[in-house]
Amino acid sequence: MNPSERAQSYSGENGSNADDVALMRRIVEADETALGALYDRWVRSLYSLVLHLLKDPDEAEDVVEETFWQAWRKADSYEPSKGAVSTWLLTIGRRKALDRLRSRKRSKEDAISDDRTFADLPSNAPDPAVDAEGAELREHVRAALNELPDEQREVLELGYFSGLSQSEIADATGQPLGTVKTRMRLAMQKLREPLSMHRGMTE
Amino acid sequence: MTRITHEEAFSELSAVALETVSADIASAVRAHAAVCPECGPELAAMEQTVAILGELVPPGQINRGRSAGVRSRLLMRARAERESRSAPVPGPPDIARGVASLTGQGQRVTPGAQRVVTGESKRVTTPPTWDVVPVRRGMNWYAIAATVALVITGAQLLRVTSDRDRMRSEIVPVDTTKSPVDSLTLALSQKDSMIAAMTGPDVKVVPLTNQSARQPLGRMMWNRSSNDWIMVTYNLRQPKPGMTYQVWLVTDDAKISAGTFRPDAEGKTFMHAKYPMDRNALRAVAITEEPEGGVPAPTGPMVVAGSA
Repeated sequence: MNPSERAQSYSGENGSNADDVALMRRIVEADETALGALYDRWVRSLYSLVLHLLKDPDEAEDVVEETFWQAWRKADSYEPSKGAVSTWLLTIGRRKALDRLRSRKRSKEDAISDDRTFADLPSNAPDPAVDAEGAELREHVRAALNELPDEQREVLELGYFSGLSQSEIADATGQPLGTVKTRMRLAMQKLREPLSMHRGMTE
Repeated sequence: MTRITHEEAFSELSAVALETVSADIASAVRAHAAVCPECGPELAAMEQTVAILGELVPPGQINRGRSAGVRSRLLMRARAERESRSAPVPGPPDIARGVASLTGQGQRVTPGAQRVVTGESKRVTTPPTWDVVPVRRGMNWYAIAATVALVITGAQLLRVTSDRDRMRSEIVPVDTTKSPVDSLTLALSQKDSMIAAMTGPDVKVVPLTNQSARQPLGRMMWNRSSNDWIMVTYNLRQPKPGMTYQVWLVTDDAKISAGTFRPDAEGKTFMHAKYPMDRNALRAVAITEEPEGGVPAPTGPMVVAGSA
């Protein structure tokens, strides 16, 4: 299946983004059953990301709840033109998880030593049949990540999974701040094209 | 706001997209990007990239029971919030003051809290008037709840006033015995405080309910001026053996344990506490079923909840 075909058929973890957008409209109208449906569709993806960041099931559960609660309270701020509902949810969840990580006041050494890397992610869902298309997408993105030079992928991982600032990354890795900024920008630019196909897939 | 040049903004774009810069710098960069033909699209593209990275994580397994608990809490919060959307907007806020104290009907009290009144639920013997108020499908639930709140407050007030009058009459014949008089005077003082707490002009009432209940199973009354919290429950089943109920005051940032309790045989509870809280901070009140002794953060199923 080529990317264009995937764009037409991708249906995420469980259903299409059009279905999610319809649920968001109902949530804006204060239909809590739609919130329940959205929860059922995306809780596993959100929980996995948040757990990967926090490494604590209790905290991850709290973040999941607060993420969906924000989705309920701020549903009218979701703009379909900016991305899929799932992407929006995951962005909220990551933000909340990073807030918790920062509140732990971990040392930079702790952050560096954590195994929060893209390579550390499992490649498939426990039940591949449920998430076949998502698995295909992940393989596509993973391949793009693997194309990055190690030093670019490292700064991206530290920023994405540990929430470290560029200055903190520079301190932790012993690299000049300017080098860190350049590597991060280049990494983002190189990932843009392969990942942008995903946006088309979910619209 | 921090002033920033194009070069400075451009060098921070990836960090802004990753949300790893201070709010000050992020605001400055976003303000620049909003008018810069180079930085604007670049930032948007980077934010898309960051957002999509989250989907690299395959769906995992979340404990089915705990997930069901989260889902249940969410839906109850959503339902309560929906019902309160048509509620009147509260008056201008001020900051509550007071000394933290909380009671739990003779059960465990939250560490650091001070017991004020105990064993109140045993005194609640009159069925609440609001039990008979019908809740018709399609009616504005909040409006009904508000009406019911007045009725229940009146019922409680009547009982408390009656108790106070009884105590006054008991003081006279025993005034030669100092200890009982002191005891009754203290109880009288507590009753007076309770009347004031429940009837003040700044009392917020939070109905407590759950998805299967057709009418509230309890109420939290919060006097935001005096920091008095009074919780009543009705028809609440007994917690399972080895378990207890735990009250949570939910804010945007925390779920504050407000002590544990066990309703009486009729499912009734009457709790009084003094606890300071910013009058805008409370989002919801919830009661969960937890292991005996309580837990630092909610883990069990939510029994009832209400949006503030």
